[in-house]
Amino acid sequence: MTLTATLDLPGRRAGLRQAVKAEWAKLHTLRSTKWALVITIVGAVAVTFLATHGARHQPGEAAAQGFDPTNTALAGLALGSLVVGILGILSMTGEYGSGTIRSSLAATPRRGVFFGAKVIVMGVFALAVGLVVSFLSFFEGQAILSGAAPTATLGDPNVLGALLGSAGFLALGALFGLGIGAIIRHSAGAIAAFVGCTLLLPVLVHNVPGNPARFMPVMLLGNSVAAVVPVYNALSGRSGFLLMGLYTVVALALGAAALARRDA
Amino acid sequence: MLAHMIVSHQLTKRYGKTVAVDNLSFTVAPGLVTGFLGPNGSGKSSTMRMILGLDAPDSGSATVNGVAYASLAWPLREVGALLDAKAFHPGRSARNHLRCLARTNDIPMNRVDEVLDVVGLTSVADRRAGKFSLGMGQRLGIAAALLGDPGVLLFDEPVNGLDPEGIRWVRHLLRGLAAEGRTVLVSSHLINEMALTADHLVVIGRGTLIADTSVEAFTAHGRGDSVRIVTPTPQRFVTALTRAGARPSVADDGSIVVTGMLAAEVGELAARDALTVHELTPRRASLEDAFMELTSDTVEFRSSDASAVSVPATATSR
Repeated sequence: MTLTATLDLPGRRAGLRQAVKAEWAKLHTLRSTKWALVITIVGAVAVTFLATHGARHQPGEAAAQGFDPTNTALAGLALGSLVVGILGILSMTGEYGSGTIRSSLAATPRRGVFFGAKVIVMGVFALAVGLVVSFLSFFEGQAILSGAAPTATLGDPNVLGALLGSAGFLALGALFGLGIGAIIRHSAGAIAAFVGCTLLLPVLVHNVPGNPARFMPVMLLGNSVAAVVPVYNALSGRSGFLLMGLYTVVALALGAAALARRDA
Repeated sequence: MLAHMIVSHQLTKRYGKTVAVDNLSFTVAPGLVTGFLGPNGSGKSSTMRMILGLDAPDSGSATVNGVAYASLAWPLREVGALLDAKAFHPGRSARNHLRCLARTNDIPMNRVDEVLDVVGLTSVADRRAGKFSLGMGQRLGIAAALLGDPGVLLFDEPVNGLDPEGIRWVRHLLRGLAAEGRTVLVSSHLINEMALTADHLVVIGRGTLIADTSVEAFTAHGRGDSVRIVTPTPQRFVTALTRAGARPSVADDGSIVVTGMLAAEVGELAARDALTVHELTPRRASLEDAFMELTSDTVEFRSSDASAVSVPATATSR
């Protein structure tokens, strides 16, 4: 027997600090996290490349009155918002799918602490990813547009807000996914619901009077939060961000309630 | 007094209309291996999940070291549990799985290497745990249970999927943990395994307590070895057997099943009393059978004296 390790017990208790450290370790020890990071960054760079090149080679579009060089450069973030959303989902459903949830909750039995740690880690991680891809896409896009089309700089009105808002939007997307994952618990079902909400629903309601599609997350990002030049019939950047925040808070609240109430 | 104790107090759990655990009360004491015995589906795992706060009881309560599990300051340092062999993410290595758990309770990282060594997984510690065999998964689960060097340990069917060498190792480990003064609750549906490992038994069937007794008392009375007798004069035979101190019962087909007497003794009794015997069959009833009978009769018996347990004669009839 070598089970003689004596662990001195500090006079505190295991809490959020420990849970956050553990959740961070969980996140970065999975391959899916690395893949998500690669897909988000490479995808953003590639889509921004295509979007800005398109604008560059269609002078008519670039010269048009409503041309928004910032928004065009941020086109690549839509993919990233999906990817981090799915990562948020998997952070919950991966626990249920494998039975890890029992180990996790035995180690951190206070479920609010456990869920809070996931929210903090996933939110901060997705925000960092969002900041990287939004600034990367912005500078890439302006470099490609420069000389052939109007460009934007960080000092232009609302540009910095669009970049920060888009980065924050990715964090909200990840947390929205986390909430959905906690509610649905199964990877396939939760991802289907998430993709349905973000991609399919806007298409389905496209022709419904009153343009309800503008309230859907993907539209909120592309037409509101990431837009510097206001888009016709879309919410303002601020309203779009707040609405996405509201969706996220609702999903997280329902997820937290489900986690607290249900058997693991 | 409640240090290193598990107390289940009138625990009740329903899943829909099914009552999985029914008013179950027992105490698990330190320094012993307590076998938690019952057929599959008898409520053992549900009970363990309630002890760990994973499932909420419909009524009753479970405490560890005197408090509800969720109130423990450092859960993994006080209680270690193996619930199922696959309670880890398949994409994470064994070492990383344990490191993540260690961080939740401020357990030093070198302890991870220690427990990997104890369970013999050091050489595969950096492989994706999803590739592990069932036996390796069990070992990883046991490593997780030992991680916080806890005084209370729960193991749900720990020998599942282990080879004979692994089974012996687990037996040794459990006995060693109890010898160190720890509280060890280990569930199993295998009476023979428990006879070798446990000191004390908590036996349940259909979620209710059947026996809470020492292993000696249970194996002496409860093993359920019996003798089946076919005779043209069952009435006389039953009378003679009862007078001789055995516990006979008449089965549906008219045969007699008797416990508390060996086949040879029954034969001698028949010769002495001139009773005709058409068939005399010694039977080693499995515990599983005994449980099924016990629970199907909804016989709940619990001697007030925990050391004295008797099994009704019907327990061993087929």
